[in-house]
Amino acid sequence: MPLQVFFLRRLLLTIPLLIGITLFSFIIANAVPSDPVSANIPQNAFDNEEIIAAFRAKWGLDKPPHEQYLTYLGNLLRGDLGVSIKTSKPVLEDIRQFLPATVELAGFAILIGMALGIGTGIVSAVWRNSIADYLTRGYVVIGVSFPIFVLALIGLNVLHVQWGIVAGPGRLDFIIRDPPAVTGLFMVDAAIAGQWDKFANAFSHIILPAFVLGSFVAGIIARITRSSMLEVLGMDYIRTARSHGLRERRVVIRHALSNAMIPIVTVIGLSTANLMTGAVLIESIFAWPGIGRYAFRAATSQDFPAIMGVSILIASIYVMVNFLVDILYYFLDPRIRVA
Amino acid sequence: MLVGILVVAGWVLVALLAPNFATHDPLSQDVSHRLDEPGENGHIWGADALGRDIQTRVLYGARITIPAGLAVILLGSTIGVLMGALAGWLGGLWDELLMRITELFMAFPTIILAMAITAALGRDIRNAIIALIIVWWPSYARLIRGIVLEIKHNEYVDAAHCAGATGAWILFRTILPNAIAPAIVLMTLDIGNAILTFAGLSFLGLGPPPTSPEWGSMVNAGLDNFSQWWMWLFPGMAIASLVMAFNFIGDGIRDIFDPRLRRD
Repeated sequence: MPLQVFFLRRLLLTIPLLIGITLFSFIIANAVPSDPVSANIPQNAFDNEEIIAAFRAKWGLDKPPHEQYLTYLGNLLRGDLGVSIKTSKPVLEDIRQFLPATVELAGFAILIGMALGIGTGIVSAVWRNSIADYLTRGYVVIGVSFPIFVLALIGLNVLHVQWGIVAGPGRLDFIIRDPPAVTGLFMVDAAIAGQWDKFANAFSHIILPAFVLGSFVAGIIARITRSSMLEVLGMDYIRTARSHGLRERRVVIRHALSNAMIPIVTVIGLSTANLMTGAVLIESIFAWPGIGRYAFRAATSQDFPAIMGVSILIASIYVMVNFLVDILYYFLDPRIRVA
Repeated sequence: MLVGILVVAGWVLVALLAPNFATHDPLSQDVSHRLDEPGENGHIWGADALGRDIQTRVLYGARITIPAGLAVILLGSTIGVLMGALAGWLGGLWDELLMRITELFMAFPTIILAMAITAALGRDIRNAIIALIIVWWPSYARLIRGIVLEIKHNEYVDAAHCAGATGAWILFRTILPNAIAPAIVLMTLDIGNAILTFAGLSFLGLGPPPTSPEWGSMVNAGLDNFSQWWMWLFPGMAIASLVMAFNFIGDGIRDIFDPRLRRD
């Protein structure tokens, strides 16, 4: 099947899912017995009928639910996610402000997770039952069992407070101003502007949270890399490649790894969800001004426009990442191209 | 796996006999002993900002965490198994509808969805568990549906038909018992994860009230007294040890039930 057809077919499949995501977020935000009025109006205005009525009218809380949903969907298509009750700013603007911090953190974390996970996974499959293999397997169990918010606290206490080798919470030291905004990713922006001291400071701030976030993902990736590599290394074509006298490194990388990639790529795609879950916890510990902390604050103040906006955004990111993973299959597995 | 069973059994024992093991009352405050260091004044693992004994609270925490984890897994898997069995058995439009719904649930990262639900229902331990059940059932539904689809055309199912069995009888007495094993394996692999997510939720303040001796919320309380490491390290280690033990058991049970998945 040509790439265009494959691409279009997968893209069409995501559309009903995206619509479903908006409907589902809307139902959670609306069908539950809670009262955004009491959560967002100051206590001393509770008995002021006018303020409450004005609040209800402003957020359309007195219209029937299906009308509210269609209004919301219509606005969403125009890029209007409503106004956050908490910050009094458009949700889209809030997301624009907070998303880059999360993209930088999660992106760095997934790079660490992939490097660590694929690396140790290959090593432990190739040298099976060696010390490296046992270490990796132990790491996998600990990595997926250890609560990352505890790991973050231990890291912060030892590496920042006691040894002082990494910076503490936040994206930059307090006295340092943000680099000129281009991408919103501080390390990239600092590098573009040539401000290398700022780059170093941003790196020192991001390395610990990214490492903690990446360590969980690394455990999952290492596990699947190991089992996938073990399976492939037992195949006849690996023996054939060896008998042709190829160097072992070429056999492992070219012949084994490229054929073991499909489950690994799948798991990396699925781990975006773990990353976002972790981001909520990590961002609240490291005072990281990202989308996870924004979502948490929205949830604790029953800020429904913000909750809906963020859940739709995150679920859509997840759907799109897995759409890209499907497209990757096309390149990784020639059989899909022929089928 | 043996280590896992021993550790879990130990924690269950602690949960059952917490009042017998504990040296203090988990809720009583004693401001004169606030932030006592480990070993000081009979507080083996130290005391928190209100002078409550950390060790006692960690022991009592097992009484919240273990039942919560079990409740999420048992109820979540029951709903999931029923949904999946119905989808696979009824087929056609029902199948399509139910599976699209599970896909939808699975598109949301666990904690984001659970957070939105607890925010909407209100913050307490029961709602945190309800939120996790809502998040948990879809993976069981997908699993069981696949298996039911696979075995519903087996000969023994046709035989039951010919013997005049009703649809419900066939589904519950003929098909489900043959489809349930993988769900049990998934449950044991999953319970550690459920406990981890529950602890994460209460760490965020979306679970039990801060006074209750729940491990996640104890870690959170330790954030304000960050240099008093005993406040967050001991409850954190409690979570880690319990989750790790459950994961060991899960891996072991998977190896027993499904040798094909054995990692070596």
